[in-house]
Amino acid sequence: MAIDDDPAVVRPFTDGITMPVLIDCEHLLTELYAISNVPTVVWIDEHGRIARPNGVAFGTDTFKDFTGVEAAPHFDAIRTWVRTGEVDIEVDDAEAAVGDLSEDELRARLLFRIGAHLRRTGDDAGAERNFATAVELAPHDWTIRRAAMPLRGMDPFGDPFFEMAVEWEAAGRPYHGIPAERTDG
Amino acid sequence: MTEITVLADHTATVSADLTGGRVLVLPGELPRVLGWTLKPEGLCRDDVCVPLWDRAAVQPGGDAGDRVDLLGVAAALGRPAALDEASATLAVGAPMELRRQALTGRTAPAFELPDLDGTLHALEAWQDRKKLLVAFASW
Repeated sequence: MAIDDDPAVVRPFTDGITMPVLIDCEHLLTELYAISNVPTVVWIDEHGRIARPNGVAFGTDTFKDFTGVEAAPHFDAIRTWVRTGEVDIEVDDAEAAVGDLSEDELRARLLFRIGAHLRRTGDDAGAERNFATAVELAPHDWTIRRAAMPLRGMDPFGDPFFEMAVEWEAAGRPYHGIPAERTDG
Repeated sequence: MTEITVLADHTATVSADLTGGRVLVLPGELPRVLGWTLKPEGLCRDDVCVPLWDRAAVQPGGDAGDRVDLLGVAAALGRPAALDEASATLAVGAPMELRRQALTGRTAPAFELPDLDGTLHALEAWQDRKKLLVAFASW
């Protein structure tokens, strides 16, 4: 699921992927599933039950040095789950692990949606107004603050990203889900 | 009266009175804009009716006439709402109960999204399979 605005921007990332790739321009999933950063992986079983809630997992080792997380353990855990139904981490209390969205985080998602809509209709000032307020409400939410960067003419790999990362670290790296560290067991 | 845009399960425009911090529309507009109908028994859609414990929050009466406040309707449906008055845009979010069901009941909320070619896919299309929902982004 690409938490993105433009299929053309997403398409290059999907080279060689055979699984369905969907795009979530309105950020519906970040609201429904309380997702606050990417990559976030959710395991859903054949009964529509969340077997393993929001967790950080990477598909490759591209950023291993930066994140300290290898891709292999999660892949192994997925294979075990598919074969045996066994989940590597028993998260009895998904609500505690993931945490519900706060009122501000929820409102930020709605204002982001408005901002994205206004940008598409050519109201750049209106878009900026709503993106800016959304970021104020949820400054440590990557699906708000960083996702808005390319839509606001800011570089999501430049200074605005580094500023956000510093603030996020200082805030204790808040994340709605199982942090990456736990995949090491 | 202002022509507002409502971003809910779909996008619609409707004429609204925005005075007093409310979003007042004619009750006849509700089905088209939000998919629900105001009846004596409450807000109804198909076979489901949500009783209104505080009907005045939905239909204030007085100087509002028979108009309904979309903010009150959203609240009665357990859905968050945010109004950007400057652009006359109202965003109505998903029922908060769905996220609670995900977090406490571990029920994966249903959704329908387009692929990169625009074809819609619903989560239930894969209902008898194990699935990985992988949220990623270009940023």
